[in-house]
Amino acid sequence: METKVFAFTGKGGVGKTSLSAAFIRILSETYPEKRILAVDADPAVGLSAALGTEPKKTIDDVRLQIAESIEKGEMNAAAELLSESRFHLLDCITERGNISFLAIGRPEAAGCYCKVNAYLKQVIETISGNYDFVVIDGEAGIEQINRRVLEHINYLVLVTDGSRKGLQVTETIRGVAERLVSCEKTGVIVNRVPGDFVPELPDLLAVIGDDRRQCENDMRGESVFSLPQDSPLYLGAKKALEKLLGDDDETV
Amino acid sequence: MKLYNDVLRQMRALLPAVPTKRAVYAAKLCAPDGEKDRILFAADTAYELGGGGKQSAEAVLFADLPEGQSETLLYGPDLSEISSDVSFGHFTVVKLKETEEAALSSERLKTVGFTVFQLYPAGYHIRISPAAGKEQVRVARAALQKNPPLSFLNVGSSLIKAFLKQPDVENVQTVFITDPAFDYKALSVLAGKAKKITDAVQSTLQLDELDCASCKMKPICDEIDGLRELHFRKEGKR
Repeated sequence: METKVFAFTGKGGVGKTSLSAAFIRILSETYPEKRILAVDADPAVGLSAALGTEPKKTIDDVRLQIAESIEKGEMNAAAELLSESRFHLLDCITERGNISFLAIGRPEAAGCYCKVNAYLKQVIETISGNYDFVVIDGEAGIEQINRRVLEHINYLVLVTDGSRKGLQVTETIRGVAERLVSCEKTGVIVNRVPGDFVPELPDLLAVIGDDRRQCENDMRGESVFSLPQDSPLYLGAKKALEKLLGDDDETV
Repeated sequence: MKLYNDVLRQMRALLPAVPTKRAVYAAKLCAPDGEKDRILFAADTAYELGGGGKQSAEAVLFADLPEGQSETLLYGPDLSEISSDVSFGHFTVVKLKETEEAALSSERLKTVGFTVFQLYPAGYHIRISPAAGKEQVRVARAALQKNPPLSFLNVGSSLIKAFLKQPDVENVQTVFITDPAFDYKALSVLAGKAKKITDAVQSTLQLDELDCASCKMKPICDEIDGLRELHFRKEGKR
């Protein structure tokens, strides 16, 4: 089976991480024999908590370690750098059942995240072939789309809340993604919607209301695996996933 | 190449008098090929050589070997006799063809030396840190359950085969160490010295400098016997 890559993006604070985590849980439960790679590509580092895992080492840690070795003159050839990268990469992967977890980390230096984003892209391209599904919890906004970190994906999931701002950001990201991302399907999840508001969107995957149980789960410090299966977040994520996979599900 | 003789002699002095296993290279002994970039997951791993905070050391040395065939030596338990993470040592001695040595370029030396980075035996996930001189290996449960189970002799043969594909290589001896009583720390220090020599040889081969007094490599040439001769022999050939 070819690797199926899901990427989540959208405005900040709309629940991308909770939805990414819910997707990961549902994929893990639905396809227990498949391998899933969960990538926390958001420097805000929330997916690890949502999945109840703690990475020992992040992509940024490895990048810094390699940069330091080059400065010390311990390595200079491309083959050595590649080998060093592979050596540390395995330590970045935390495993839980059929799920592997990888985090970009939070670069401490001020300024842009170009270097670590570029490295993340290489890492995803190198190891994604080991997995049946890759779920990337992307950074808020369009930076990672612009930088083509999320260049080759199967499903782009745009997450928004019901606000006008959220929907506008979604449309902006969609426009940029159409130009820069090679993607089979795009869909929108409208999250934390008060009342019965349903926006008119051509590729609407799910509308999820305020989820008190998700909120309580989060406040208790519980992972997504403790969330009841009848909670709005779980049900909404499941519906969205089924819509995205659709006919593809037969090939999974 | 005599540059590594002193380090190699010290490495050999650390080893027990007799290897636990020894096998002359034969293509039929080679482990089945795995896939590049294929991860051996922790859940599928029986143990990790040099993993779990255990010591590990890795080195490639270019030196003379006795006449004869390439071989694999093992000091300590074989893969199927190990049940948890253990300290691990691995060094490989490569004999270059005499006729090629003087014409050896920095790039060709690198190509030969980097052979160890491109080995992917099935069920034996090697990862090497050139910066730390470490080699750690995840060994698959499945590889140990086969009949016969994967052995260091299979992995050694695969490595030798890869080295022998290089046109400059005449002979290879690869040595695996899993003996719990072995001095891995001492091997690690010597492996660091071997890497320093390789780096110095590569730098020397790239240099055009003929005046030792003003050359940045002088301190290293003073320390490593034969390095200066290698450089001037190369310059003389131009």
